[in-house]
Amino acid sequence: MRGYRRYLGAVWIGTILTLLYVPIVSVVLVSLANTRYMRFPHRVWTTDAYGDAVDSFTTWSLHLVSLQIALCVVFLAVLLGTFGAMAFARYDWKGRSLFQRLIMLPIFFPQPVLGLALLLAFSALGITPGWKTAVIAHAVWIVPIVTLVISIRLFGYDTAQEEAAFDLGASRWQVAREITIPALWPGIFSGALFAFLLSWSNLPLSVFTSGADTPLPVWLFSRTATNYSPLVPAVAVIGTLASAMGVILLFALRWLVGRLRGGRSAP
Amino acid sequence: MNAGQKFAAPIALFLLVFFAAPLLIVSWYSFMPPRSFSLTGTPTLANYVEAFSGGYEKPLLWSMLGASLTTLVCALIAWPTAKLLHAHVGRAASVVTALIALPIFISESVRLFGLSMFLMPRGGILAGSLNAWFDIQIGSILNTRLAALLGMIYVYFPFTLFPLLLGVSLIPEDRIEAARDLGAGRWAVFREIELPLAAPGLLIGALLTFVLCLGANAEAAILGGRAVTVISAAIEQRFNYAQDWPMGAALTVLVLIVTAALVWPALRRIDLNRLMHR
Repeated sequence: MRGYRRYLGAVWIGTILTLLYVPIVSVVLVSLANTRYMRFPHRVWTTDAYGDAVDSFTTWSLHLVSLQIALCVVFLAVLLGTFGAMAFARYDWKGRSLFQRLIMLPIFFPQPVLGLALLLAFSALGITPGWKTAVIAHAVWIVPIVTLVISIRLFGYDTAQEEAAFDLGASRWQVAREITIPALWPGIFSGALFAFLLSWSNLPLSVFTSGADTPLPVWLFSRTATNYSPLVPAVAVIGTLASAMGVILLFALRWLVGRLRGGRSAP
Repeated sequence: MNAGQKFAAPIALFLLVFFAAPLLIVSWYSFMPPRSFSLTGTPTLANYVEAFSGGYEKPLLWSMLGASLTTLVCALIAWPTAKLLHAHVGRAASVVTALIALPIFISESVRLFGLSMFLMPRGGILAGSLNAWFDIQIGSILNTRLAALLGMIYVYFPFTLFPLLLGVSLIPEDRIEAARDLGAGRWAVFREIELPLAAPGLLIGALLTFVLCLGANAEAAILGGRAVTVISAAIEQRFNYAQDWPMGAALTVLVLIVTAALVWPALRRIDLNRLMHR
C-alpha cells in the first residue's frame, strides 16, 4: 500500500513537471525548421534560424533594450528594497504593520491593468512612454518583491552584533560596512537576481509602458500574433539563454566578491 | 523620525509617486466627460453609467469567471503537490521545487507561444506527431476559451503552489498523527487540521492567482484567438483605438475596486511576521 502511494506520488509530480516543460521544449523544437509554414515533424531539421537571428540587427537591439531596462530595475530595486527591508524586518516601529501591508499592494495588483493605468497617467502628464517609463513600471512591481526577498533574510538577523560593535566604539558607518551589509548581502544577491529575471521576462507591464522601445518579450508577443517563422522561436530561445547567462554571470560575481572579501580578512 | 520611518521613507515615497498617484489620476480621469483628454472638465458619472449599460460588464465578468476557475483548478492541483513536496524533504524535493519555479523566469510570451505551437491544428507539435507516427488525426482546442483557460492555469500554477507550500509547512506533523491516533479519518484530518493551519498560505496563493488572472490578457490573445474579450483587452481598446480615455479609466477603476475589495481585508488578517519569520 505504501509503495503504491509512493509510486502514485512520483507519477503525479512527473506529470506536472512534464506539462510545465512541454511548451518550453515546443519552442526549441519549432525553432529547428526552415519552412515558412509550421508542419511538424520537420522534413529538414536545421539551425539556420539561429544564424539568421544572430545576423539580424533587430535581435541585438531587442536584447539591448531589455538589458538596459533590467539593469536599471536591479539598481532601483536593490537600493529601495534594502532600505525597505530594514523598515520591514529589522526595526520594530509604530507604523510597521501598516507599512508591511501597503508595500504588498503592488504585488497583489493585476499587472496589465497597472501598466495601462501608468500609461494613462504618463500620457495625461505629457510624458512620452519609452524604456524609462518601462523601468518605472517594472520597479513599481519588482521593488516590493525585492523588499520581501531581503526581508526574509533580515528576520533571522541578530541585532546584538550591531549593539556590541557600537559598545566597542565603532562608528555608524563602520557598523553598516562591517556588520549590517555583510549580513544583508545574501538577501541583496537573491533580490538582485529576482529583479533581473523578473524584469527581463516581463510582458504585461512592458507591453503598455515601453512605447517605441521594444523589449524582447513585447516583440515576441507581437510576432506570435502575426505569421509563424522559425526566426521568432529562435530569438525566444536566444533571449532565454541570454538571461541564463546573466544569472551565471551574477553567480560568478558573487564568487569573486566572496574571494576578495576572504582575501582581505586573511592575514 | 525614528529609524524605521527613515528606512521606510524612500520606498514609501517611490510607491506614492509611481503607484498611488497614477491610480489617483486614473480615478479622477474616470469622472471626466466621455472622449475628453483633459483633467479639468466637469466631473460626471457618465462613464460608469455607460460601463454598466454599454456591454462593458461582459469582459469584466469573463475575466472574473476565468480568474475564479483558474484559481480553483490551480488550488486543486497545488494541494496534493504541496503535500508531496513537503513530505519528501531532501535533495530530490528541492530539485523538483526548483524545476517548478524555473519557468516563472521564462517570459510568458515565450511559454504561451510554445503552448500555442504545441496545440496548433494539423502541423502543430501534438497533432503533427500523432499524425506522422501513429496515424491519428485530432482536432485542436486552439482559439477557444478552453485554451485561454489552460494557458492561465499553466502560467499561474506556481503562484498558487509556492505560497501554499509555505502554508503546508506550518502544519506540525505530530498534530496530524495525534488526530489519527484519536481516530480521525483522512477527510476529518484535512478539514479540521490541515486546511485551517495551511489557510494563510492557501489564501495568499489563491488571492495572488485570482488577482493576476483578473488582468491577464496574453493568454486570451495568444491562445484564445478572438473567442473571448478580457477586461484588460477592453481597457486597452478604449485607450488606444477608441481614444476614449475616461471610459478606459472607468473600467480600470472597476478592476481596482474588485481587487481592493478582495486583497485588503485578506492582507489585514494575515500575520506577515509569523509567516515569514521561521
